[in-house]
Amino acid sequence: MGVLSIFILSKAGGLIYHKDFGFGLKKLNNSNDYLVIAGTFHSVHALTTRVNPLNTHSSGLLTMEMETCTLHCLQTLTGLKFVVVTDNNQSNVSVVSSTIYEIYSDYVMKNPFYTLDMPIRCHKFDRALNQYISTVE
Amino acid sequence: MIYSLYIFDRHSDCIFRREWHKDSGKKAGINDDMSKLIFGICLSLRNIARNLTDSDSFLTYSTSQYKTHYYETPSNLKLVLFTDLLTVSLVNELRQIYETLYVEYVVKNPLQTTEVKTIDNIMFSMGVDALIQSLPGYA
Repeated sequence: MGVLSIFILSKAGGLIYHKDFGFGLKKLNNSNDYLVIAGTFHSVHALTTRVNPLNTHSSGLLTMEMETCTLHCLQTLTGLKFVVVTDNNQSNVSVVSSTIYEIYSDYVMKNPFYTLDMPIRCHKFDRALNQYISTVE
Repeated sequence: MIYSLYIFDRHSDCIFRREWHKDSGKKAGINDDMSKLIFGICLSLRNIARNLTDSDSFLTYSTSQYKTHYYETPSNLKLVLFTDLLTVSLVNELRQIYETLYVEYVVKNPLQTTEVKTIDNIMFSMGVDALIQSLPGYA
């Protein structure tokens, strides 16, 4: 199982979608903790663009390696962040995260009942995402 | 290419800072206020890593321009190293700095007070220079 968890953050840093796949990560018993993680990540991401030893323009955090897994972040032009946690052997994560972005565009943005920056509750998105993640090796 | 090393004590103060290749860039990109930002980034990422996994901290993070290596000792001393993107994980080297240099020259120094304010120990800084410059990714 390559992909362990997916977080989607709105441009204000709010957690609008979270789903765990498999059992690679610790389960937090309080759903508020996930909101805190998302908020913290959003601000750290902003800080990492400022701290730059080269004094040139830098993107925010792209990957964070941990002992058992790796966190990848894709920031879209609209400020949305797709945070994908995979195991350390997963390759081509940029393809995975941009495909998730594509699924988001198809099933969330084209849903007329979805309000921007609100938590994502779209069955078709859930289904398409599950189907795609199960094909990722 | 290795850019800089920061050491923070358990009171979150920066007690040691060293930069290499200062002239190759335009200016040194990191000043005093930056060390507080660096500390904040590392602490927050460590907490995220602790929440998501069973490990104690993260190992490295990278942006499009630089990579940061992080090692924390059980006594909450934090070592942060900035390198370019091509460098492989140097967490073991950071542990080596702690084990063979910090413990030997700072902790075992009889003139050192128990609370280290800043490391102004020439043996330590020379040792760090020698170790970092001997790494294959230094230049």
